[in-house]
Parts: sequence; structure tokens; C-alpha cells
Amino acid sequence: MNAFLDGKFNFSGDSLKYNFDLLTQALNASISGIIITDNMQPDNPIVFCNLAFEHMTGYTRAEIIGHNCRFLQAQDRNQKQREILANCVKEGKECVVEIRNYRKNGDLFWNELYMSPVKNDKGEVTHFIGVQNDVTSRKNAEHDLRQQKTLMEKQVQERTIALKESEAFLTSIIETVREGLLVLDPEFNVLSANYHFLKTFKVSIEETVGKQLYELGNNQWNIPKLKELLIKILPTNNPVVDFEVEHDFPHIGKKLMLLNAYRVELEGQFKDQILLAIEDITDRKEIERRKDDFLSIASHELKTPLTTIKGYIQVLERIIPKDASEKFVNTFSKVSLYVERLNTLISELLDVSKIQTGNIELHMSEFDFDHLIRETVDGIQATFPGHKIILQGETKAKVMGDESHIIQVINNLLSNAIKYSPDAKTIEVNIANVSEYVKVSVRDFGIGISPEDTAKVFERFYRGSEIQKKFPGMGIGLYICDQIVKNHQGTLWVESEKNKGSVFSFTLPKHRKDNDAE
Amino acid sequence: MMLNKKIIICDDDEGILDMMEMILDDEGYQIIAESNSLNLRSIIERESPDLIILDLWMPMLSGDQLLRMIRDTEAYKHLPVLVISASRDGETIAMDAGASGFLAKPFDIDGLLGKIELQLSATNWQA
Repeated sequence: MNAFLDGKFNFSGDSLKYNFDLLTQALNASISGIIITDNMQPDNPIVFCNLAFEHMTGYTRAEIIGHNCRFLQAQDRNQKQREILANCVKEGKECVVEIRNYRKNGDLFWNELYMSPVKNDKGEVTHFIGVQNDVTSRKNAEHDLRQQKTLMEKQVQERTIALKESEAFLTSIIETVREGLLVLDPEFNVLSANYHFLKTFKVSIEETVGKQLYELGNNQWNIPKLKELLIKILPTNNPVVDFEVEHDFPHIGKKLMLLNAYRVELEGQFKDQILLAIEDITDRKEIERRKDDFLSIASHELKTPLTTIKGYIQVLERIIPKDASEKFVNTFSKVSLYVERLNTLISELLDVSKIQTGNIELHMSEFDFDHLIRETVDGIQATFPGHKIILQGETKAKVMGDESHIIQVINNLLSNAIKYSPDAKTIEVNIANVSEYVKVSVRDFGIGISPEDTAKVFERFYRGSEIQKKFPGMGIGLYICDQIVKNHQGTLWVESEKNKGSVFSFTLPKHRKDNDAE
Repeated sequence: MMLNKKIIICDDDEGILDMMEMILDDEGYQIIAESNSLNLRSIIERESPDLIILDLWMPMLSGDQLLRMIRDTEAYKHLPVLVISASRDGETIAMDAGASGFLAKPFDIDGLLGKIELQLSATNWQA
């Protein structure tokens, strides 16, 4: 049992002194502080300490020997580890505690203290051996770790709440939005569907989520063109934009839908998911159609009596007596002028409505451009003999476009030129080839347009500030011209100087660029 | 020269009928004006006109219906029919139904007379 008596410390001879010396050196070489207290003396004084203990505590040997260990605790006397130590001393047992100790300079250090009793033949505890390690850095690390953990837990909690809140926020948007939304996986299985989708197509969540899109509701979504577009989304990121689908659904009837589909992306990383948004535009289209129908009927009905009026006016004009006064003749020509304006206004009403809803249809055909210009100019010239319209240039071009619309643009520009140059006598029309375009310019020498108005003349219902009084109108003529030219993929613009006149020009591509990507 | 030319005008609007009758009468044409489209067929058979001027939007039978009926009848296959309409798609509808000419309402008297003359001379040339 006793290593010393067993001869294990007979290191290299029988000299006790030599062996003892070696052991003392070993004790001093230890990095753990080692002390021995004498339990047979009152208050258990320290009777030995090694060098490491001196270094650890900052005290010198002289300041240590004879003291009870408790001096290391300074004023920090309420630690529960003290109780454990006291009990072990009393019962002569060994123990390990981590206790707060203080160096001579007052610095705190954590002492991992291993205390073990030394007993004599009678079993009495004669000494205690204390081995101490400074575990402050470990303690600190532990403490930091605990703090870090608490902090992290708090952050996780906070973020979880924030996440839940934003999730709830998004969910409420997704569920409230009046557009059907589906999220699909790469095999086009439905991962989720929002309330509006279920409501519009009168299906339950069970019938929808987890099912293949094309199998939903008797394969009614099995549309080859849609399939083709959806397949391209994930690999190419080409979204499906405003794809119109008409379908006759078994329960809800015929629906016109606008489909948009996108690859779901998160922080620049794409997920293997597709968001499919389905907008039911059945009602909207129906309303647009009814409005157009109404306006068609209204304009037709308004033009019918106008036809009679115009006819009678022309009959009367033909039978004006030779001796009629100049006032009589002038009044007559004014009446026919305003009947003509009323006719234009009625036509424009329908045009604006169609343009606004994008329902304007282009009847494209190839036509002789110079011929069209000449005929239109002649027509206007006949109606307004007061101005001389000079046609310059030629293009010899065949142009692809809607002839009646182009005539409408030229008529509008010419009648404007005449209207806004009451004191000038000439209007110049110039036509030319410009690259793959034909260009038309209509120049007048009239009142001109102020710089602030030039930017706005092509806006709907815009009327130049001073214009309204002298030249009444609805302010839609140029708006329609602009839209028509745009529909033909050309441009319309104006250059003008106040009191000098204006030049309205437009270009038309001779052949439409059909693959013109927007 | 136009004295012997007979024109049927069919339009549901009495104002337009009166006005056109007055103008064309003055020009020396023989005019039969009819506002009820249902009567047109029997009038054609009875009168054997040289030209029909036809409105599109009429109650009972529409102009394009009448026009198709006329074209389906062997005897009237080449009868000149001038369609007049204030409808925006009037010209397309008229041409699809087999009109020989189209004039948008409202029109100029000169325009109307020109078109009529053209229609009548075309038949002369055809005959």
C-alpha cells in the first residue's frame, strides 16, 4: 500500500537523503500547486508548499507556511465549496472542489482543489495534501460559452419570432391576394395553393396539394403550350409572362385566365420551385367587350342622323341662290365644317376606347405609300381649298401596315396643320425614305406650340393652354395618331416654335419587325 | 342618260331614305325607297333594279344577310350592291358578304354620286 515502504522511491540507491531530494525537486517541478497541512495541529496549518503554489498565489513561502488555507479566499467567505471542504476535513475524506481564490495582489483566480487525507496506523488523519490548479481561463471560457449560449438562444428566439411574424405577414398577403397562386416542384406537383385559387376553381386543398398540375380537375390544366413554357422555367429562368388561356371548366364554366410563372429565387439562389400565378380575367374582358360594343352602337346611332344632316346641308349648299349674301354662304360652310368635326369626334370616341383597352385591330396589308399620301392630301385639299398643300418628295415604297389607320394619322396631322395656321396659306408635306423606314413630315406656318406644351401634345385629352379658347376640341386626335404610329412600330414627334409654326413627323417601318422583343 | 336607271335604297332610317331619295331623284334616277328589310326581296323581283343601295344594321334582316341572299340567287349574282354603313367594320362585313362597293356614313354627295356612277357603268361594261 505504501509506495515509499515498497521501495518504489529507491530511485538509484539507498540514500534516503538523495531520494528525498529528488522527490522535492519533482514536487517543485510540478505546474500544479501542492501543499501539505498538518491536521494534528490546531487550525490545520500549511506545513509545505511547492514553487508552483507560490507562483499561483503570488505569496512567498514565508507568507504561506503556518497559515490555514482559507487565507486564499480573502473576504469571499460565503462559497458553498467551503462547506464541502469543511465536511471532508471533518470526516477525513478526499474531495475535489472549484473554489474562488485571490492572489496576493487581489486578483481572482479559480482554483481546482484536490484534497486528500493522509492517515496513520491508527487511521487518524494526520495531514491533508492539497493539489491545486489555476483553472481561471477554463472557467472564463466556460462562462463565456454559457453567456454566448444564452445570447444565441435569445437571438434564435427573437429571430424565430421575427420569422414567424414575417411568415404570418406573407401568408396573409398570399391568402388575401385576388390572384390564384400555386407553388410547383420540378415535376409540376403542387406544393401549395392559396385561398383564391381554391375559391376560383372551387376545389379543396386535398384535391390540389400533392397532385400533379396537369392532373388537377380532370386534366383541365393539361395544356401543351403551357407545358412547354413551364418546362423551360427551371433550367433557363425564362418566366411565363401574361400567357392567356381560355378553358371550359366542368363546374365553373368558361374562364379566360392570364398565367404568369416564375422560378422561385432566394438570395440569388434558385430553388427547385415554380410560382404559378393565375389571374381570372373573364369578367374584365367581358366588361371591355361590352364597353366596346356599347361605343360601337353609340357611334353608329349618332352617325345615322348625322348622315341625314350632312346630306341635306350639301343639298342646300348646291341650291344657294346666286344673289345670296356672303354671310349666308360663310354660315353654311361653317355648319358643314362643324358637322364634319362632330363626325370625327364620334369616330375618335370609339378609337380611344379601343386603344386604351388594347383592342385595336390592325388589318395589315401592303400598300403603295406614295399613292396613299397623294390621295389623302388630295382629299384634304378638296375639303380645305383655303390652304395650299404642297407635297414634296417620293419614296416609291411598298409599306406593310393598316392603310386606314395611316390615312387617319395623315388626315389628323393635315387638318391640325390647317386648323392651327389660320393666317398662313401653305402647308408642306414631305415624304422620304430613311433607312428601312418611310418618313412623313407635315409643316405649317401657324401659331406653333410652346416648349412646355410640346412634351404633352401626344397625351390623351391634353389641350394646349391657350388653344382651348380659340380651337375647341377633345384633345384626342394626336393621342390616337401617336398610338397608331406606335402600333406600327414607328415614332411620331414634333418640332415647333411659337408663332413660326410646327413640323409633325412620323416614321413607319416598311416591314414590321415581328420578333421585336419588348 | 341616267333616266332609265332604277335604284332601290334599303335603310331602316327614314331620314336617310328621304335625303337620299331627294338627291338621287334630282340626279334623274328612278328611286324606290324601302325601310323594311323584309320587303326587299319582293321589291327586287318586282322592280328588277339596276342597283341596290343597302344599309347594314337593320332590324329583322341585316344588310349582310340580305346581300348573301341576293348573291345566292342566280339571277342577281352580278347585281351591283352598294353598301352604306356607319359601322366601323362595315367595309369588311360588306365585302365579305359580296358587296360590289362600300361607302361609309356620313358621306359627301359627290362621293355618293361617284360610287353610284361607278357601279352602274361597271354593269354596262360587264353586259
